[in-house]
Amino acid sequence: MRFLYSFLNWLIFLFCAPFFEGVMRRITARVQSRKGPPLLQPYYDILKLLGKESMNSTGHRIFNAAPMIAFASISAVAVLAPLGSRPGALASHADIITLIYLLTLGGVSVLLGALASRNTFAVIGASREMVTMIMVEPVLAMTLILGAVKAKSLMPVGAAFGAKTAGFGISSALMLVVYLLALQAFAGRQPFDIPEAEVELLEGPYIEYSGPGYALFRCYIMMKRMFYAGLFIAAFVPVIRGLPYVLGLMAHLAGILVVFVIISLVGATNPRLRIDQAVKYYAVLILAALCAVGLAAKGF
Amino acid sequence: MRVTDIGEMAIRNVKDLSEILKAAFPAAIKGTESPASNRLYVDVAAGAVKDVSLKLVSLGGRFQISVGYDDIGRRNALGYIQTFAFDGAGFIAALRTEVPVASPELDSVAADIPGADWPEREAADLLGLKFKGHPKPKRLVLADDWPEGIHPLRKDVPYNLIPPAAEDVAYRLDEAPPGTTVVPVGPFHASLHEPEHFAVYVDGETIKGCDYRGFMVHRGIEKLCQTQVTYNEVPFIAERICGICGSVHAAAYAQAVEEAGGMTVSRRAAYIRTIMLEIERLHSHLLWIGLAGHMIGFDTVFMQAWRVRERIMWLSERITGNRKTYGMIIIGGVRRDITPEIGDEVLGVLSEVEAEVRILMKSVIGDTAVHRRTKGVGYLSKEDAVRWCLVGPTARARGIRMDVRKDHPYAAYGEMEFDVPVADSCDVWGTVVVRFLEIFESIRILRQALSKMPDDGPLQTAAGAPLAPLKHGLFCVEAPRGEVIHYVITGEENRPERWRVRAPTYPNLQAVPSMLMNNQFADFPIIVGSIDPCYSCTDRVAVIEIGAKNKYILDRNKLEEISRRRKT
Repeated sequence: MRFLYSFLNWLIFLFCAPFFEGVMRRITARVQSRKGPPLLQPYYDILKLLGKESMNSTGHRIFNAAPMIAFASISAVAVLAPLGSRPGALASHADIITLIYLLTLGGVSVLLGALASRNTFAVIGASREMVTMIMVEPVLAMTLILGAVKAKSLMPVGAAFGAKTAGFGISSALMLVVYLLALQAFAGRQPFDIPEAEVELLEGPYIEYSGPGYALFRCYIMMKRMFYAGLFIAAFVPVIRGLPYVLGLMAHLAGILVVFVIISLVGATNPRLRIDQAVKYYAVLILAALCAVGLAAKGF
Repeated sequence: MRVTDIGEMAIRNVKDLSEILKAAFPAAIKGTESPASNRLYVDVAAGAVKDVSLKLVSLGGRFQISVGYDDIGRRNALGYIQTFAFDGAGFIAALRTEVPVASPELDSVAADIPGADWPEREAADLLGLKFKGHPKPKRLVLADDWPEGIHPLRKDVPYNLIPPAAEDVAYRLDEAPPGTTVVPVGPFHASLHEPEHFAVYVDGETIKGCDYRGFMVHRGIEKLCQTQVTYNEVPFIAERICGICGSVHAAAYAQAVEEAGGMTVSRRAAYIRTIMLEIERLHSHLLWIGLAGHMIGFDTVFMQAWRVRERIMWLSERITGNRKTYGMIIIGGVRRDITPEIGDEVLGVLSEVEAEVRILMKSVIGDTAVHRRTKGVGYLSKEDAVRWCLVGPTARARGIRMDVRKDHPYAAYGEMEFDVPVADSCDVWGTVVVRFLEIFESIRILRQALSKMPDDGPLQTAAGAPLAPLKHGLFCVEAPRGEVIHYVITGEENRPERWRVRAPTYPNLQAVPSMLMNNQFADFPIIVGSIDPCYSCTDRVAVIEIGAKNKYILDRNKLEEISRRRKT
């Protein structure tokens, strides 16, 4: 039964993520006075990519493996992630360290794929991706650790829901703000879509990818976005916790939708930052996140 | 010469300059000619060209362009003309010289006037002139596999010559500074709209240098018009030099020919020309603002600016029948009238556009995120901007108050009231501000032109007599991107003997490597984009398309055949 729920978790992530992507595109289009693509466009894109040939210009094996590793790691995250009123069903087998590890593995596989493609733009994109990862991952880690500190457990269950079990103190409020400010970076949207920067880097790390390989990377990106949006709801919106499964799930997905609307609106009304400017911004976030954890440890 | 000396002998008019030159170089100056109060043609001995050029620059002349031409048939010589604008005094001086074809050598001025770098290399490629002491004597215009010794603009080279293609020839990039890697931006890249190649040398993400290889899609327009068509057909080809500012080229060419032939057009025609040029500026500025937004990753600005621009495109279609490439301006006047009804429509659209642009400007100018991406980016000091001979909004963003419409009025601009917005931030931000403000000035000009439009005569004035050969005409027009120059030497077969076009991108693009220096690679698109580069405007000189494998030239019949086949 537990495995069934886990599998369900993964399916929900896999099938809902493109829909949220579609919503994001539609909202962006509306802000720009455009009609926008159909809501289902991201599904069509994925299907079309899956039917195409995968080009590998260098013949490197890592180039082929990277999208699969990325997809596998984000799938594992989806299995563990809290969704609705239930924590990930396999939560008792993994702790928050595992979760962070899996998320980082996804990022690392993007880097490996980019480096294996030996494209100058991919390499620049990879170095930006690396900087972004180093600077943004700590905020995520702090969010989870804050939960862990409050719940006095490293289990994802406790971590994600800890903020609520222990009440909504100053530390949680601070972390909520930090998380919101880091949201665009988590989602890789303007002003923080720096590694992909279309106009100068032509999608950076993904430039050489095509066909099924690129489809897997697209899925990886979309599911990652959904995970970060979902984590926000799970960690900072206590209401859904007590609800029955289906209702909790609906509430959670609705919450994610709202987060995606915010991401789209912020993304559509900001230019892209340069990596040096972004790093300064991230540094402030890390500092604030550290403070939040410190406060939590002191019991605030 | 010290800078203070310039003030003491301020040049007020053509006469001042000609006297100063005669006094300074009594032996070298062979003669001067001033057909109008705003033109001075100076004939000078080849040996003194460099000295006289530098003197003109020190007197406050702004180097514009050089024109090389084949005069082998008459005088067994190659001609070389350099033009200098005296913007404050409102006239242009052309320095004419010739060198024997057997030893076509001149002293290079490129080391002292950086803006003369490309014109000299171009003359070397296309005419076989040699410039002693040129700092970078590389090929500029000709393809890398073009044989040595064939100079396409010489008259003995047929316009449809196809030399055999060579394998294994490539442009040799400049040496990369130590410790840098090369990022190839081009020949095809998302932030370039046309095939060009920038080799950007980066250290990490910081740009440490840049080499440029362009001129990849030559269309041979100058050669074509000098050999195959007649005066009256050229304006339509001139319009196709640029997809954005076509009227500008047609206007500059038409006015240069009118000047060479001593023709005048009716004031109504001049007003209609002014209206078309300003409509073009409006849509071009909105286009640029959109692109600039896109280049800093702000697509909402892109979409909104283009939505507003669309109204202007519809308006153009209403007036001329075309969204672009209007075919309005011809020698002797314009082709269509602007009736009062259309005038009212224009005014209606203008107020809508004005309101929308105000909102757009408020949201862009007030956005601190935009400030972060544009302020201090692409910095080039005012002194350097003068040295590089920058023109248009790129120069005005660097504190240079120059605008052909004010300095050398043409069409009906002399009767219009408008300001020339200038910024002194010397960066991309300044360009954004200047372009926004210019939109409102354009609207102001359009309103005046429509309300004051005279009804004084024919839209088209025919030339009284055939144009006398070997007359020189020269005209500048302020395109949305900056100054356009057309130099015409009239010919004998009812077509120009020499027609030289210089688009504003030509000087501005030369300064881009300096603007890029020590900026972040992420700022590359917006810095290159800030000059609103129009590569096709620079790529117009050489002669033939060279396909890699199958070479052919489309003649008229083939072209018609293809277009007919496509239709069905």
